[in-house]
Amino acid sequence: MSSNFVRKISALACGAAMAAVVPFAAQAADKVITEWDLQTTAGAVKVIRGAADRFEAANPGYKVEDTHILNDAYKTKIKIAFGANEPPCVFSSWGGGPLREYVKAGQVVDLTPYLDSDPAFKDRFLPASFGASTIDGKIYALPAENTAIAVVFYNKELFAKYNVTPPTTWDELLKVIDVFKENGIAPFALANKNKWTGSMFYGYLVDRIGGPEAFANAVQRKDGGSFADPVFVEAGKRLQELVNAGAFQKGYNGLDYDVGGSRRLLYTDKAAMELMGTWEASTIGNENPEFAKKLGFFQFPSVPDGKGDPNNLLGTLGDNYISVSNACPEKDKAVELLKFLTDDTAAAGRLADNRIMPLKDVKTDNPFLTEVYSLVAKAPSVQLWWDQELPPELGELHKDTSQALFGLSKTPEQVAEEFEAAAKAKLQ
Amino acid sequence: MTDISTRSAGGGAAGAALSLKKLAPAVFLAPAVLLLAVYLIYPLIDSFRLSLLDWNGLGANARFVGLDNWKKLATDALFWEAAWNNILLAVFSVLIQMPIALILAVVLDNAGKGSRILKILYFLPLLMSSVALGVLFKYFYDVNFGPLNALLDYVGLGSLAQDWLGDTRFALGAVIAVVCWQFIPFYMVLFMAGLASFPAEISEAAKLDGASETTIFWKMKLPHLKGTLRTAIVLSVIGALRYFDLIYVMTGGGPEGASELMATYMYRNVFSSFQLGYGSTVASAMFIIVILIASVLLRFSKRYETEV
Repeated sequence: MSSNFVRKISALACGAAMAAVVPFAAQAADKVITEWDLQTTAGAVKVIRGAADRFEAANPGYKVEDTHILNDAYKTKIKIAFGANEPPCVFSSWGGGPLREYVKAGQVVDLTPYLDSDPAFKDRFLPASFGASTIDGKIYALPAENTAIAVVFYNKELFAKYNVTPPTTWDELLKVIDVFKENGIAPFALANKNKWTGSMFYGYLVDRIGGPEAFANAVQRKDGGSFADPVFVEAGKRLQELVNAGAFQKGYNGLDYDVGGSRRLLYTDKAAMELMGTWEASTIGNENPEFAKKLGFFQFPSVPDGKGDPNNLLGTLGDNYISVSNACPEKDKAVELLKFLTDDTAAAGRLADNRIMPLKDVKTDNPFLTEVYSLVAKAPSVQLWWDQELPPELGELHKDTSQALFGLSKTPEQVAEEFEAAAKAKLQ
Repeated sequence: MTDISTRSAGGGAAGAALSLKKLAPAVFLAPAVLLLAVYLIYPLIDSFRLSLLDWNGLGANARFVGLDNWKKLATDALFWEAAWNNILLAVFSVLIQMPIALILAVVLDNAGKGSRILKILYFLPLLMSSVALGVLFKYFYDVNFGPLNALLDYVGLGSLAQDWLGDTRFALGAVIAVVCWQFIPFYMVLFMAGLASFPAEISEAAKLDGASETTIFWKMKLPHLKGTLRTAIVLSVIGALRYFDLIYVMTGGGPEGASELMATYMYRNVFSSFQLGYGSTVASAMFIIVILIASVLLRFSKRYETEV
């Protein structure tokens, strides 16, 4: 009894400290659906509130309380909320590993029956977009917000000035790197304090060398898949080849992406390229509209004798995914809210905000989005970010070991073995 | 109770006053004790319980694994590296903060009224939020645009410019410097209070006897500060062993764990890796280490104990 009391007290304190939404929600006369997301830009919030307004209009007596939280703070808050068994009704994730943890704990509503009963709604989405949110054949989240894939952004003006063109092969890439280095410009800007930034290089290299199966088999422990496979060792070697070729600016392992560490290098012509998710384009558009005009992008180059199709992508088709928690008292209504949040009106709103939902039929006159969409449409595989795909514990280890590869403090063989040992223990 | 049963006519008022006297402390203590029980003692004990589980912290899927987490901890190189970093932080905190704080306190103490603005200025770092400070110094140390490297370049020491936060050799040192910068004012104030309690007539008498300011400081004021120094060192060491915020903001424990502390390692385990059980093991181990070091420190410095 006393422990129950304590739990209640701390849950109350937690809630009050976190958002003050959960405990007070119950006092309102209307039935309240709580919604947490990590969209903090004015444009994104407007779309979500708009969907909530339409939901409220269609469902008198219900009220949506939407809360928008910054990325890193959100990741911590949502975990505490689930741990205290006071999660919001509707929450965001990237699918993959962390969502799987919540599903395993029985905290997430299976959306499959809802989707099966409304095929017209379900069939609007690109089938591949459910990949990251499908666990044991059941769909637990809807792709919302955006399609984000990792591409190499580059400064068109600098490329023209030094007479280089976007590389499509590894050797061309090395030549481009040499040209910029000779001219005192860092070829790549990289802010790798955050680690997921550098992870993209490793993820792409593994894909280009061994194809998407290499990673998929190693994660699923099937067809002899293993992280000690030569594919992973070679990816590490290629990565360190880039480091040794001086492909990254000074201090890459300490710069913070969240405070614009890498973008500042681009803006000041101190770096020519950056491998980053496509959200970068709208970030740059907001931060530095002048520079945005010089911005171009190309796909990660191929690797000699690599098995992976250079059209394969690393990224996420739903940035973010939205789900309903099992603790929600109004599950059916919350699922209905999910639909409002991902319907055609919401999709159009996001398109106007330069974000593209993973739907089958998208028309836009924005050339950047058109290009992103066409890359996605022709990609044989879209691999979810490794740090989100892997179970959280391995995701952290992957981030640590890839940072060590960049720092040249571990050899590719060491990293492959260390990761395989941990994967064996965790994934069986 | 006994008061009530044994009271006699005329003694009633006194008896009630006595029982009130006994009750009052309990009533006044109750809120503090309750808060401590809920927010300190219960979590402390519970984190030991959690350290015996394999649990992601979500739902009822915890598995009892006995001492497995503790065995893992014993051989976890990352944890011991973090613990070693904590010890480095503690040692350098004391070695850097105490002398500088003492010098500032003595200078300000002697400077008289004219030093009021300086006192306020020196005290400012302590008033700033750690997170704001961390972000500020992240810009300060920035390898490409930071003022520190620019300054080194300007005075012709460009060869000393470093990747302060991104190089495994410098990251911890760079953060320790900021930690010291932030906390020196605190110890400065502590020492100033100690010096203020030094009776002026004694130093006047000493001066009449021909003692110089230096002699007065070393032979009289410093011994007078013994107790304050002891308190300051213990506070500084304990603070360093549980340190979290600036490291979390400035380096996140990186690069490659070079500036990882026990507290940031625990945070990463619980909130990034979803290993609540193992994270609790780290937290409990941290508790044990802090208690051990603090009690050893207190015991060995007991002879310097004073009323301060």
